[in-house]
Amino acid sequence: MILVLEILGIEKSYRVGFWRGRRRRALQPIDLSLAPGESFGYLGPNGSGKTTTLKILMGLTRADAGSVTLFGRPHEEPSWRHRVGYLPEHPYFYDYLTPVEYLDYVGRLFGMPSSERRARSRELLERLGLEELAAMPLRRCSKGNQQRLGLAQALLNDPELVFLDEPMSGLDPLGRHLVRELIQELRGRGRTIFFSTHILSDAEALCDRIGLLRAGRLISVGRLDEILHVDVAHMEVLVSGADRALQGGPPEGTLQLERVGERLRLEVEEARLGTVIRLLEEHGGRILSVQPKRQSLEEYFVERVAGSGEA
Amino acid sequence: MKGSAWGRVLAVAFNAYRESVRERVLYNLVFFAIVMTLSGTLLSEISVGQDDKIIVDLGLAAMEVFGILIALFIGVGLVSKEIEKRSLYPLLAKPLRREELLVGKFLGLTATLLVNMSVMAAVMFATLYFAAGEVDLRLLFAVYATFLGLLVVVAIAMLFSSLGSAPVAAVATFCLVVAGRYADVIRNMTSIIPEAPGQLVRVLYHALPNFGNFDLKAEVVYGDPVVVADLVLMTLYAALWIALALGLATLAFRARDLP
Repeated sequence: MILVLEILGIEKSYRVGFWRGRRRRALQPIDLSLAPGESFGYLGPNGSGKTTTLKILMGLTRADAGSVTLFGRPHEEPSWRHRVGYLPEHPYFYDYLTPVEYLDYVGRLFGMPSSERRARSRELLERLGLEELAAMPLRRCSKGNQQRLGLAQALLNDPELVFLDEPMSGLDPLGRHLVRELIQELRGRGRTIFFSTHILSDAEALCDRIGLLRAGRLISVGRLDEILHVDVAHMEVLVSGADRALQGGPPEGTLQLERVGERLRLEVEEARLGTVIRLLEEHGGRILSVQPKRQSLEEYFVERVAGSGEA
Repeated sequence: MKGSAWGRVLAVAFNAYRESVRERVLYNLVFFAIVMTLSGTLLSEISVGQDDKIIVDLGLAAMEVFGILIALFIGVGLVSKEIEKRSLYPLLAKPLRREELLVGKFLGLTATLLVNMSVMAAVMFATLYFAAGEVDLRLLFAVYATFLGLLVVVAIAMLFSSLGSAPVAAVATFCLVVAGRYADVIRNMTSIIPEAPGQLVRVLYHALPNFGNFDLKAEVVYGDPVVVADLVLMTLYAALWIALALGLATLAFRARDLP
């Protein structure tokens, strides 16, 4: 199987200070690969090196060392550019153009014939809810709509591999939903997706694998279910109308108790689960759900990024 | 779906042209140039027998001054402004080489200048025709020479624009254009100041584009002959400077990391 993307030991540092005499490391050597059809989430706090990695992959910045291959060919060969789509972080497009004009310009750079440019632009503008703004100068479009146009230009050539840098940035809930759908659709069509994000729920919903970056170092890479270990020793019970059962304090075996509106959420030892549920029901409580306590991506992120642990 | 390099260059050129014609500042500059040319008819009223010379002088000067301003204003922003605003990011991830972008931008601004010069020249010719009843078509040689000089200014502006920010590029281009305008003074410096080091003066002279070479105003206004061989040499001189400036701009831009 030919990997869609293979990164071997790329690293980057910038010269800083008045005389540019000092070097600040933006990326420690990074190794990473993506298989065809994979959806990969690139996570990390601000300044961790996500955008730098993407800029190196897109040829906007040069790595100090290491190598990149795309579709099995060296990065230096330009053929991959026809097969890749890229949405930069906080994209800016020429504000004197309309969305249709901008997409037409991008289509010309891909060498697309005019009929194909028109058809593909129309299709994407419609898909991204921009059809009514198609002839409006971009200077009058909102940030969210410019972000949608950014996605449209990234998908214009129907790329096999899509790099999205913070694709949800500046979008309202409707826009986010639309983009989530679009990414799911791309996954369904076997496209490979590499996206950086701060929104962890998006990564949980959309990624097969994630990579966590901290201070320029890739501290863990893996499938979500490998990284977020399911701790079956704890169970989570959601119950309503159980106030009477708790008058004498939390039932034995309860590790954590939290009120969520009208309901209660209890974290219970697995061995005591049956006893706790019986007690709650006997006192008029209605069990709404019981599920294993699973570490969320957010908890994992906070633990690994804010904490001291490293892979 | 591969597309040719020329297709991409022309796409960039068309967009650069579209950008400049949608800039309001461009129209203001062209408007002032036209006003300046038309004011020649008023000045000619107070200088008996010199009507056409004053109109030609003012018209050509307006073309040069406002052409330089247009070349400077737009030229210095062609690369640096796009890097600052990050509008290049999505484009350079497409099958577009950096040198194709530079050449496309240069051609786009060349087209803008060509249209502007044509409008200004048409106004000058119309003014001359109504004031003097005839038009000397040799004026076109002077317009052509001015146009070549402006293309060199654009290429130099793009070189500095590829190296640094728009304000720095504007100042550097302006200084080089002014120095180049007085290149002949530098060449003759040793005859004015005999102590001046001759070697240094020669190096300095050759390191500057001599914008005096693109000035045919005196020849045209005073009816001196314009030799075709000189026009050919002038064209080659401009082409050499444009190639040099764009070549250096390409090297600088290729080596530049986008922030």
